[in-house]
Amino acid sequence: MRARCIRAVARKEMIHLLRDPRSLALAFLIPLLLVLLFGYALSLDVEELAAAVVDRDCSPESRDLIRRIDASRAFAVRAELETDTALSRAIDAGRVSVGWVVPAGWGAALRAGRPAPLQVLIDGSDPNTGSQARAFAAALIERLNAERRGGRHAGVPPAVEARIRIWFNENLESRTFIVPGILAVILMIAGALLASTAIAREAESGTLETLRMLPLTAGELTAGKALPYVAVAWIDVLAAAVLAWGVFGIAPRAGIAGFLLASFLYILVAVGTGLLLSALAGSQLVATQLAILATYLPSLLLSDFVFPRQNMPSALQALSALVPATYFIDLLNGFYLRGIPASGLWPSFLVLFGMAVALAAGCVWAVRREGF
Amino acid sequence: MNGRCVRELVRKEFLQLFRDRRNRPLLIVAPLLQLILFGYVVTTDVRETRLAVVDESRTPLSRSLIEAFAASPAFRLQASAADARSLEEDLLQRRVDLGIHIASDFAVRLTARRPAEVQLLFDGSLSHLTSQRAAAAQAVIEDWNRRLLSLGSEPRSPAGGGIEGRIRTWYNPNLESRPYFVPGIVAFLVMLLSLLFTSLAIVREKEAGTMEQLIVTPLRPVEFLLGKTIPFFLVAQGQMVLVIGFARAWFEVPLAGSAVFLFAASGLFLVCTLGVGLWISTVSRTQQQAVLTTFLFLVPFFLLSGFVFPIERMPLLVRAAARLNPLAHFLVIVRGVFLKGVGPTVLWPSCLALAGIGAIVFGAALLKFRKRPG
Amino acid sequence: MAEAVAVRGLSKRFGRFTAVDGIDLTVQEGEIFGFLGPNGAGKSTTIRMLCGILKPSGGCGRVAGLDLFRDAERIKRRIGYLSQQFSLYDDLTPYENLRLFLGIYRVAPSLWAERIEEAVASVGLRPDLHRIVRGLPPGARQRLALACALLHRPRLLFLDEPTSGVDPLARRAFWEFIGGLTRQGISAFVSTHHLEEADRCGRVALMHEGRIVACGPPRRLVAEVLPERPEAGLEDAFAILLRGRAA
Ligand SMILES: Nc1ncnc2c1ncn2[C@@H]1O[C@H](COP(=O)(O)OP(=O)(O)OP(=O)(O)O)[C@@H](O)[C@H]1O
Ligand SMILES: [Mg+2]
Repeated sequence: MRARCIRAVARKEMIHLLRDPRSLALAFLIPLLLVLLFGYALSLDVEELAAAVVDRDCSPESRDLIRRIDASRAFAVRAELETDTALSRAIDAGRVSVGWVVPAGWGAALRAGRPAPLQVLIDGSDPNTGSQARAFAAALIERLNAERRGGRHAGVPPAVEARIRIWFNENLESRTFIVPGILAVILMIAGALLASTAIAREAESGTLETLRMLPLTAGELTAGKALPYVAVAWIDVLAAAVLAWGVFGIAPRAGIAGFLLASFLYILVAVGTGLLLSALAGSQLVATQLAILATYLPSLLLSDFVFPRQNMPSALQALSALVPATYFIDLLNGFYLRGIPASGLWPSFLVLFGMAVALAAGCVWAVRREGF
Repeated sequence: MNGRCVRELVRKEFLQLFRDRRNRPLLIVAPLLQLILFGYVVTTDVRETRLAVVDESRTPLSRSLIEAFAASPAFRLQASAADARSLEEDLLQRRVDLGIHIASDFAVRLTARRPAEVQLLFDGSLSHLTSQRAAAAQAVIEDWNRRLLSLGSEPRSPAGGGIEGRIRTWYNPNLESRPYFVPGIVAFLVMLLSLLFTSLAIVREKEAGTMEQLIVTPLRPVEFLLGKTIPFFLVAQGQMVLVIGFARAWFEVPLAGSAVFLFAASGLFLVCTLGVGLWISTVSRTQQQAVLTTFLFLVPFFLLSGFVFPIERMPLLVRAAARLNPLAHFLVIVRGVFLKGVGPTVLWPSCLALAGIGAIVFGAALLKFRKRPG
Repeated sequence: MAEAVAVRGLSKRFGRFTAVDGIDLTVQEGEIFGFLGPNGAGKSTTIRMLCGILKPSGGCGRVAGLDLFRDAERIKRRIGYLSQQFSLYDDLTPYENLRLFLGIYRVAPSLWAERIEEAVASVGLRPDLHRIVRGLPPGARQRLALACALLHRPRLLFLDEPTSGVDPLARRAFWEFIGGLTRQGISAFVSTHHLEEADRCGRVALMHEGRIVACGPPRRLVAEVLPERPEAGLEDAFAILLRGRAA
């Protein structure tokens, strides 16, 4: 490995990148744009769910109930409808996700101390929203009942009371985990995609033939090709991290050094994946398709980002153990949410390091197969 | 426009597509494999919440509460922590999602018919799951309370009357994830492949120089774009049939509505994705540019579609942007047909939106492509 | 007698760089017109403008009897073009390529078999007709490109360095073939770097840095530039012409 050769290849590759301002701009802008957009836009928490009410009672009690529904954090009353059919049409069309139906005589029953049935219809097609909505509706009714019983409670007090405390993300804001997670997904795709055309492009245009004639070893070519993409991805990470901190106030609670080291290893893995596919595929079309298939959905879905690993069948848990994002997200979770120092997270570091080494070896092998 | 000319272009595109042996697995195997994979993964059901308990009471009563948790499908008893410190350590190291701390006076207070407190310590990092897990834990405890006090079986009608919530869940009564997510995966996979293939379709001809030869022929832009689109349209519709059939057979996801309507709508959807792909292809000079631009579209298409993250919960401006996203409209249709069994009478706004978006992007690609002699 | 090409003041600018600088050209029907000049002179750019691949920055004229600006699309039906780089589909077979271009040129399907047969016979592609183009030698590819450019029976052919990278015997066969075409009244506009080929042209033009330096029948050009040396060739004449420009 001669530093001079690596530098020469890296410089040439950098020139390619710089000469194509559009690709470069995309490489920088996409990650920032996405972090910003998704920090603002994405949420899995149920808040202000669109609700409709059908009030056939129109008593003071029913009006109070509707006010309470609207005032709750979970629901917002968007429409008051006359009939059940109107309600079901609204739910069918997806305009509202929850419907509350107050039957005639409801308020009177309540005043008389008789059971007063109240119908709640929930659009369960999205199970996440549906089950949260169901829980919130039940809790709201429970709270109203408790208030009505007041101090003089007619029923029996609960024997065991749950005192719930939430750690790491006290306000249960999904943004806190979505922003770092999205960083892991985007870095993976950006690194792999950028690098995926690097070798295939030269194979297609025939310049690989020229490089092959030069006194250049496979290791030098790989390193030189990887360097500029690693640099670009590295700038991406820094910019995205600063943005997350500046705009959303989301910053690592511990271990800045650990965060930087983890990002570096992860970038190596991402760029290595792209280069390996590029060397194996032979054409840019196939290389980029493979890169997207191998990184996009796996990083998003198999990595413990939104969908917890323990819910997967064991075969997929094994597969998810092969996805680099799994470990990076574990590390990010440690730095951003738990505030664990790097020393407490060494297993994930070790795996990422191992993956980087294996991919580097794989790239050198694949490039050597091309005749270097 | 000349039909024969378009037919020959389509023929050539098919020849190229299937002659490259590496394309075949990409076109057929990849979508199925991904469907199976992600069909299993994509679930927000609360299952297997890993649970650790510190039981300082060590009485039959406290053990019975722990057993109630262990018996619930939502929880899995992972370990018994020795003390509160190690419980916190477990939570910190992500070995468990929930820690339960039962104080030493638990049984004493209960036998004295005084309320006893149990502390539940949740990992809040996946907030959407945490609120569901908290609700599930509450339910286990309430259930246990009722059994302990041998109250009646009707949970929410205390003896003294009061509001009685009759909560009914439509479309997906058991709130299962799969009927919701699998149709979404189908839509996404087909979009992914159709977008990728078309976005490279024209750039490749530019890079190979064949574009130059085509320009000196009397070929019209419309004919050329049709020749590029029809093959991918057919392939993508084929994939749609394949993947939907497979989803029904493998995951037993019921299709409540009309399959014919679904395919008609997917045709509209494909017009949009193919139009976007062609537009990308006309404005890109190299394949790398095309791929990066595709990616610029792909990620927002996916994340702002309501596939995982509900659109209603996005800020107003983003919601407005999501209206331009063909995947968002198609998801409404796919889920409507699969889960709700609704048809054109309910879903026409989404179909109209797709038709509009398709017309616009196709028009943009055509306009952009006309300006070729520089 | 109509002119196949007649343009005046044709120019092309790329940004601030002027690749073709106001040239006048005429090509007679049935003529072989040779287009010579050093690398970067603007030959390909000129041809690409005449074919409608590039939009000229200035000038006016007619190609194949049609206005270069107003009828660019209709011109394309009357001309054949062979580009400097091979630009057919190398993952198809010659047969598939020919078929595609028959479709694109809107040739009636009843004529296809005949046209393909004719093309194959005239350029000698028969043994390679069903092999993937990528594996064919450059000479065979060149013949295929020529066959494709002739499928719709154009009256005017633009050939951009058709003989570069082709062996001498094949080159001779090629020129004989072109000669045969012109006897049927087809005109050919051929750029080349092989000066000995210029002798096969009715007239040649020498281009340098975007301008036409000299134009006329090859023998007369030599006689004008070097009247005192009757044995001199085009090469000597061009050397003097280009040196004179540089000075
Ligand atoms: N698209 C373009 N943008 C900018 N400059 C261009 C473009 N196309 C050609 N040129 C420049 O115009 C000049 C003339 O190029 P052209 O290809 O016409 O030369 P040529 O005479 O065909 O040369 P050769 O014998 O090498 O084929 C060259 O300097 C070239 O760099
Ligand atoms: Mg040239």
